[in-house]
Amino acid sequence: MRTEPATRPRPAAPAAGRGPAPEAAPRRGLTRRNRPLWMLIPGGVLMLIVIVGPMILGIYMSMLDLDQYTLRRWVSSPFIGLGNYIESVVSSGLLRSVWLSVSYSLIAMLITLPLGVGAAVATQNAFRGRGIVRSVFLIPYVLPTFVVATVWRTMFQPEGVVDRTFNGLGMDPGLWLNGPNTYWTIIFVQIWASWPFIYLLALAGLQAVDHEVHEASALDGALWWKKLRYVVFPYLKGPLSLAFLIGMLHHINNFTLPFVLFGIPAPHDIEVLPMLTYVTSFQSFRFGLSAAMAVVSLILIAIPLFIYLRAVKLDDGESGGTK
Amino acid sequence: MRMRTPAALAAITAAAALALTACSGGSPEGGSTGGAVDGTGKTLNVLVNVNTLYPEQQKQWFTDMQAKFKEKTGAELKYETFTSANEELQRIQTSVVSGQGPDVYSLGTTFTPTAVATGAFVQLGDEEWKKVGGKDRFNPATLGISGPSEDRLYGVPYVSRPFVMAYNKDILAAAGIDKPATTWDGLLEQAKKTTDASKGQYGLAVAYKDNFDPWKFVWAMSVQAGNGIVDDGKAKIDDPAMKKAYETYFGWLTQDKVVNPASVGWSNSQALAEFAAGKAAFFPMTTSNSIPTLDKSPLAGKYEYAIMPVAAPGDSSPKSGAKPAASILSGDNIVVADYSPNKDLAFAYIEMVTSKDVQLNYQKTFGDLPANAEGLAALESAPHMGAITEAAEKSYATPFTGAWGDIQLGLLNVTVQSVPELAAGNVPDATLSQRLKDAQDKAQSSLDRAGTS
Amino acid sequence: MSATLDVPVIQAPHEVDRPGSRQQKEVTRLLPTWLLGVVIAALCAFVLLPLLYIFLASVNSDLSVARGDFWPEAFTFENYSKIWTSVGLANGLANSVVVAGSTAVVSAALAVATAYVLVRYEFRGRLTMLRGLLALQSIPGTLLLLPVFVLYSSAATYLKIQIIGTHWGLFLTYLTFALPFSTWVMVTYLRGLPKELEEAARIDGASNLGILTRIILPLSWPGIIVSGIFAFLLGWNDVLFASIMTRPESQTAAVALQIFATSTEGGAVPYYGQMMASALVCAAPVVILYLFFQKYLVGGLTAGGVK
Repeated sequence: MRTEPATRPRPAAPAAGRGPAPEAAPRRGLTRRNRPLWMLIPGGVLMLIVIVGPMILGIYMSMLDLDQYTLRRWVSSPFIGLGNYIESVVSSGLLRSVWLSVSYSLIAMLITLPLGVGAAVATQNAFRGRGIVRSVFLIPYVLPTFVVATVWRTMFQPEGVVDRTFNGLGMDPGLWLNGPNTYWTIIFVQIWASWPFIYLLALAGLQAVDHEVHEASALDGALWWKKLRYVVFPYLKGPLSLAFLIGMLHHINNFTLPFVLFGIPAPHDIEVLPMLTYVTSFQSFRFGLSAAMAVVSLILIAIPLFIYLRAVKLDDGESGGTK
Repeated sequence: MRMRTPAALAAITAAAALALTACSGGSPEGGSTGGAVDGTGKTLNVLVNVNTLYPEQQKQWFTDMQAKFKEKTGAELKYETFTSANEELQRIQTSVVSGQGPDVYSLGTTFTPTAVATGAFVQLGDEEWKKVGGKDRFNPATLGISGPSEDRLYGVPYVSRPFVMAYNKDILAAAGIDKPATTWDGLLEQAKKTTDASKGQYGLAVAYKDNFDPWKFVWAMSVQAGNGIVDDGKAKIDDPAMKKAYETYFGWLTQDKVVNPASVGWSNSQALAEFAAGKAAFFPMTTSNSIPTLDKSPLAGKYEYAIMPVAAPGDSSPKSGAKPAASILSGDNIVVADYSPNKDLAFAYIEMVTSKDVQLNYQKTFGDLPANAEGLAALESAPHMGAITEAAEKSYATPFTGAWGDIQLGLLNVTVQSVPELAAGNVPDATLSQRLKDAQDKAQSSLDRAGTS
Repeated sequence: MSATLDVPVIQAPHEVDRPGSRQQKEVTRLLPTWLLGVVIAALCAFVLLPLLYIFLASVNSDLSVARGDFWPEAFTFENYSKIWTSVGLANGLANSVVVAGSTAVVSAALAVATAYVLVRYEFRGRLTMLRGLLALQSIPGTLLLLPVFVLYSSAATYLKIQIIGTHWGLFLTYLTFALPFSTWVMVTYLRGLPKELEEAARIDGASNLGILTRIILPLSWPGIIVSGIFAFLLGWNDVLFASIMTRPESQTAAVALQIFATSTEGGAVPYYGQMMASALVCAAPVVILYLFFQKYLVGGLTAGGVK
């Protein structure tokens, strides 16, 4: 993958209006002299204490037989090694939850991609009211998830406004907050809430398309869709694959949305990972088992992430990636 | 596990209390026995469920209690509220794990076993009972879910909220029914008679998507058939009586068509609204907390309560040897955290809020029945209270095990997962059996954990 | 692909051909006009209809909402006055502003410092830290919930520092959770800044801190605002941690609304109107904030384009 030039911030660069100048050598100017490494301390310490520490504690808990009977003296609850892991994989429905989580995130993502790109392409050029349209497009993204979920829950209520609309069209779609439809309900709401994120990144990608490229393809008389396909899209590949990754992580770890939409116990069809781990710990008191599930899911998420991180040259913002 | 929000909680506990008032005689209203507690400069933290029906009154009540407590002990009283079962669970879990949190908790009765299993609450011995005004101050029935056995009690009964059935007097009269049936089969017949789908009128208002109702129905039917769900550490969810209970409960919708098809997506509040709109003859599984709503509805003056049927589906009278349970033992218990540095204050607080006058006052404001035996006895003639006190007498405790939370969730889950089939009009036999088996397995494994710990 | 991809949003402006000329517009146009109109209209409807519904439901009667009416049977704004007592929204909003606001400011500040070092200096573990910034975002909140709580409560037990129930608990949590992303944003941004100014300043004898505050900071406002806004949103939106770490007096708006929604569904007819009204009120600050800083958010990436 390649960073499209767009994303390369060339701020005050005096390279007026040309496409990005040829990249300088990576790490140019990275210095070892006089390093103010102490500036890393506040942020680093915080992340160590509040994220890494608890994560290690969580991993430790995943090896304890920690439930309502042992919670009070959790430090001394029985150490059972991988027992929770075995239980989580063998008999807890974890794998099914992983499948549900990944598949719903993926479907939502595959639909938001064209939406976001379409919106970005459509607002690429100025027209009267474009500012307003751009503002409108981003509103769902800044709305708090609990607000989004509460609102859609109300709308999807049996005999609620969504049902009324379908009935008006002579259709009876059945229940939205129970049963098989729930899978599509959450995909729909997830799309509604998250497509602006793709839109933002796609917009940024488009900004990066060199003006010469537009001119060249205009001279060629390329048809609009050919221009999109062969000229513009390559520029979007970079930001969109990053958006894809971050979006997937957010979808998979999204607890608030299914929790507020469906409540507990969740319908079988939408027992996604965060719901399963939450119920296992805070409803059934199986904190050890739940921690094991979370760790397993973390590992499953980490695999693609790791591959991604290996593929990306993180330190060479100056040189762009690979196209 | 708590009952539905604040409302339901209070209702249940009350129920059980009543039964035994008669025999309990006058309790020695000793007030604070002897040495008053001096809590000057201290603060007692109390966690209670928020009352959404009467938020203003609850705030006022908090203020009153704070003044009264200050006068009594010199200590400050601080109330915190929780709203949902989830929130309450989290508060308890985090308090247990950290050894800090509220001093006193108000717990739903069915949640008491789970909390007690954590071992983080004070067991009540003679000493403690004396501090709260004596064990015989309370309606003995309410003690049924205060602990695993009579000599191991943790929860002080606070209020009762027995479940009853509301009915529409006009609809019954129009159908020529003189009084509600006392068997589930009889109720079904009456429901069929009062159903007129063309008018949008149905025999029963039932909330299939409620978070608590479904398991209470099947629990009652199963118990009435002699299956108490947990027997000596063994779960009995895959038992024919339980299956029959689910079939009956689902059948109202799929076979008998005596409930509004939309009820498959209803919570209890929506079923209540349906009943309040005069569109249902019976509304089983409600509490005295529905009185204010109904009195404000067009149904005011046209409704009454009766106890729910006590004979299992298929039976024409209560089975001998089985419990004729009209309701779960429902309401609130108060427990004291064992990490609390203010235990004496805590007991003084409990003594205060379980005294007759405070309890009667509470009943007047919120509708929950007193756990205080004398208070309860004073209420029997109040409007609508006949059936409610009777239901209180016929309330039975759910099994007292740390696994109950999981079992209850499993029972509820059978319904939750069946909702799509319910909506489609048929829950296939094999599907139901499979779900019961899943619930059975989970319940059993949870019970096994309870047994070994 | 490079990390820079990440947050294009905040790109520093880069000079492209000055837009505005008709010819320029024509050249960059990507869609035929009719399709453009269709896409924009459809997406606007997709976004606005639900938003319109929230508003209409908030001025409607609860029964009418329950029946599924889109258009209210009667308009009433009393829900907007009720929510201040029934939901306890004022207290919640105040807490949210304090917590999310301070989170935003502090996390942006820490992010600039951290990112500055990560971008400009070479040291062992630098790559690991960069990767870690992404990796930390993949840890599920449900895994951290109990351990973080245990951590804070041990602070009370052993250090006699009461964190739970105070604003500090949430502040620390959100601050830390926001840091990986905020830092990431700043890394992306700072990479694009020219080094010439810093080098000049260094020759003039400026200290590291001096360079950071006098050279980097003034140049990075768009990036700082973006990372601050993301941190603010994180603090504003969280329910999971807020629900166990707050007490009534420190409750955030998210928790207040969540509690109200839960409790009202247990009541008779849910107070849909008040729920929607509070949802709007809870959403308003972030939407306003976003509109206010939109120039930076979107402007960063559209700086070179047509305005």
